[in-house]
Amino acid sequence: MAQPKPGGGGWKRWRVRTRHWRVLSQSLFLLAFVALFWGLASTLFHGKLASILLALDPLTAVGTALAEWTIPHWAWLGLAVLALTAVLGRFFCGWLCPLGTLQHLVSSLGGPSRRARVEANRYRPWFALKYLVLTVLLTWAALGSEHLGWLDPIPLLHRAFAAGIRPLWHGGLMPAGWVSCGLLAAILLLSAWMPRFYCRALCPLGALLGLFARLAPLRIRRDDDSCTGCKLCLMPCQGADEPLGEHRVSECHVCLNCLAGCGEDSLRYGLAAPGQAVTTPALDVGRRRFLLSVVATAAIAPVLRVSGSGLAARSYDAIRPPGALAEDAFLARCITCGACVASCPPGAIVSDIGRSGVEGLFTPVLVMRRGWCEPSCTRCGEVCPTGAITTLDPKAKQAIGGPAEVTIGTAFLDRGRCLPWAMDTPCIVCEEMCPTSPKAIWLDRVETTRKDGAKVVLQRPCIRPELCTGCGLCENRCPVGEQAAIRVSSVGETRDPANALLQRRNARV
Amino acid sequence: MADRNVTTEPDPDRTLGRRELLTKWVPPLAAGVLLGGAGLALHGREGRHRPPDTRAIAVPPDWRVDPSASGRLATAGGQGPEANLRRALAALGGIEAFVRAGERVAIKPNCGWDRAPEQAANTNPELIAELVRLCLAAGAAKVTVVDSTCHDPERTFNRSGIAAAARAAGADVLHQGTAGTVLLDLDGSELGPWEVLQPIVEADRLINVPIVKHHSLARATVAMKNWIGAVVGRRNSMHQRLPQVTAELGAAFRPTLTVVDATRVMVDGGPTGGSLDLVRALDQVAVTTDQVAADAWGASLLGVAPRELPHLQIAARLGLGNVDWSSLRVEA
Repeated sequence: MAQPKPGGGGWKRWRVRTRHWRVLSQSLFLLAFVALFWGLASTLFHGKLASILLALDPLTAVGTALAEWTIPHWAWLGLAVLALTAVLGRFFCGWLCPLGTLQHLVSSLGGPSRRARVEANRYRPWFALKYLVLTVLLTWAALGSEHLGWLDPIPLLHRAFAAGIRPLWHGGLMPAGWVSCGLLAAILLLSAWMPRFYCRALCPLGALLGLFARLAPLRIRRDDDSCTGCKLCLMPCQGADEPLGEHRVSECHVCLNCLAGCGEDSLRYGLAAPGQAVTTPALDVGRRRFLLSVVATAAIAPVLRVSGSGLAARSYDAIRPPGALAEDAFLARCITCGACVASCPPGAIVSDIGRSGVEGLFTPVLVMRRGWCEPSCTRCGEVCPTGAITTLDPKAKQAIGGPAEVTIGTAFLDRGRCLPWAMDTPCIVCEEMCPTSPKAIWLDRVETTRKDGAKVVLQRPCIRPELCTGCGLCENRCPVGEQAAIRVSSVGETRDPANALLQRRNARV
Repeated sequence: MADRNVTTEPDPDRTLGRRELLTKWVPPLAAGVLLGGAGLALHGREGRHRPPDTRAIAVPPDWRVDPSASGRLATAGGQGPEANLRRALAALGGIEAFVRAGERVAIKPNCGWDRAPEQAANTNPELIAELVRLCLAAGAAKVTVVDSTCHDPERTFNRSGIAAAARAAGADVLHQGTAGTVLLDLDGSELGPWEVLQPIVEADRLINVPIVKHHSLARATVAMKNWIGAVVGRRNSMHQRLPQVTAELGAAFRPTLTVVDATRVMVDGGPTGGSLDLVRALDQVAVTTDQVAADAWGASLLGVAPRELPHLQIAARLGLGNVDWSSLRVEA
C-alpha cells in the first residue's frame, strides 16, 4: 500500500473510495441474494449452493450449535464470519447484509434530512435492546427451541421472499407471507424514520456480531488534536456508534462513511496508534437485566412447547416435508428461512401459521389443496441449509413395487363427501392419480339403482394404508370443491414412530 | 506486518512494542481459535435429538423353572379362591417347586378396568393376596404386583381391590405410572421393540394371574392376551392382527406359572362388562406351567373350543404349549 499522509491526496482518495467499494459490495450481495433466491425457486441452482447466504449467516451456526449440538453442512461459513468480525468489526452489517442494504437504501432515499441526521444518528441507550433479543433467542435455542429465524435478518428476508413475494405470481398467497412481508415493510418504514433502526435496536445478528466486534483491533480511530467537533461525521453514520465521542465499536457497521465525511481528516480505520489507549465502552445491558432475561425466557420456554399442538399433541394437518427429522430434532434445526417453501415445484409447502403450534410458527407444512409432494422430487431436502429436512434418495418415497421407505402421512376417505360413495355419481380421479405401484387406492365395483330408477355402475375408492405415501395428489385433484373427499393427515409419517398407524414389526425403528 | 501497520500511523516516530502488538491481537486470535475448535468439534455431528437406539436390545428372559419339562395343569373348585389355589398348587408340588428363597417374584394380574371384583373384569383380589402370601412364605425376597391398566391406574388398582389386598399380604403394588420400563425386543413378526414394565423384567420368577373373560374381538381372553398389560406404548395397534400378536406375546413372555382365575366369569360384554347379569360364579382356579393349556381350559368354561381361537393355532405352531389341556391334567 502506498504511504498516505494525513491530508495528502492518496489517503484522501483511498478514504473516499472505501465508500464506493462498500456500495459495490452491498449491491453485489443484494444482487446475489435475489439471484440465489430466483435460482432456488426456479430450480436452476441445486443443493446447498442455493441457500449459501443462509449458511453464511453466523446465527445459523450458533443457533443449531446451541439447539441441536451440531453445525450442519455449510453453516461453518458463519463461524468464519464471526472470526473475521473479531478482527474487522461488524463488516457483515455494513458490507454484506441484504436487509441492511435495503434499509440503507430506504433511508438514503427517504430518510431524515441531512441536518436532522445528526440527531437521528445519535446513540441511544435503548439500542441495547437487541442484546436482550439475542439473549432471549439464544436461551430458547439452548433449551432446544430454535426461534432465531423469526428475527434473524437473513432468514427473515428470505422468508418474506419465499412466502410473501414469490407467491404473488406463483403458487398462491399464504398468511405467513403477509406476516413476514409486514415485518419487512415495518423494518423498512422505520428505517425512513431512523436509519437502520432495526440493525441498531433489534437485530439479534447485529447483537451477536457486536459482541465479537468488541475484540476487533481494527476500528475507527480519531485524532483528538485535529478534530474540531463539527459533527459532520454523524450525518452519514449508519451504526449510531458515535465516532465523535467515545466510539462504540459494538455498534459500528464499518460503513466507513465517517472517514469521507470528516473535513479535517481526523478519522481513520485501523490499529490504535502506539501508546494510544484502547477503550471499549460497556454495553448498556446491566448484569441484572441480562440475568432476568435469561431466567424469564427459560421460564417461558416450556409454555411455548406445550401451546398449540407442537410436540405435546400431534396435529393431523401439520404434514412435514419428506425427509424432515422427528419433530423435536426438526424444530431444533429449522430456521424458518422458507428455502423449502420456495423450492417446492408443485408449491405444496407453506410457511405455517397455526397448524404446528406457537413453536412451529413459520415452519414448513404441506397443504395438499395448493400442491402435492411429487414422488421423485427431493428438492426441499437438498436446499435446506440446516438439515432439518434431510436429502432423500429419489426412490425413497415412490412406493414402486411395495411400501415406501419414507412416508409423510396417510390419505383418508370421507365417504360422506365422495361422489361414488355418497351421491351415486361415477368418479375415479383419486385412484387414477395415485402414483404408487401397486396403487394405494383401489376401486370397489358395485351396481346400484339411483332414485330416478337408472342403473349405474360405480367404482368406489378404498385405501390400502400400507402403500399410501401421503403424497396428496389424490386430495389435490379431488373434484369435491373446498374440502376434498379424500384428505391426507400426518398419521403414518415414518419420521415419527409414535404417529404410526399400522402395527408393524420394528415400528419404532 | 507490524512494520506496514506502523507506516500508516500518524506518528511515525514511535514503533509498536511487541507486548502492545500482542495485547491487540490476542482477543481476536483467541476468538478465532475458539470458533475454529467449536466448528471442528460440532460440524456434521448427528445432533442431540436422536431417535431411540433400538438396535442392540435384549429379548425378554425365560422365567420358567425347567423349560424342558412337559406342561402340567391342575384345577380346583368349590372352596373359594384361596383354598382352590392352595389345592391346585399342591397338586403341582406346591409353590416351593416354583419359588425359592431369596427370589424376586412379579405377579401380573389382569387389572385393566375401573371395576369392582363382583363385576369380574379384573382378577380376583383374594386370589392375588393368597398367591402373594404363598410366595412370601416360600421365602421370596420381594413380591411385586404390577400391571399396565386401561383406565386410570390408581382408580383401577383401588376399585379392583387388588391394591389393598396385595399390600395387606405384603407385596409392592406398581403400575405404568409408578414403575419404569425397559426397551426389549419381543422378536416376533408383528412385535418388535416394546417398552416392558421394569418389575417384570427384573423379576427372577413371573406368575401370570389372568381372569377368564369374554372379549369382543378375541372371543375369550385368558392367559396369553394378558401380556398386553406387561407392555406400554401404542397398544391400540395390536388389534389389527390380534391372534398373531397374542401368540407372539406368549412366545415373548414365558412365565414360571399361570394361575387362571375363574372364580367369577364374565360370559358376555367383555372385556369391560359392568352389569352383574354378565357374570357367572364358577368358583374354579387352574394352575399350570403351560399357557396354551391355560387358554384352552379358560375358553372351555365359556363354551369356546380351541379350534375356534386362531391365536391358539398359531401358538401351537410356534410350539408354545399343548391345546389339549385335559391331557396335561394332574389330579388335585
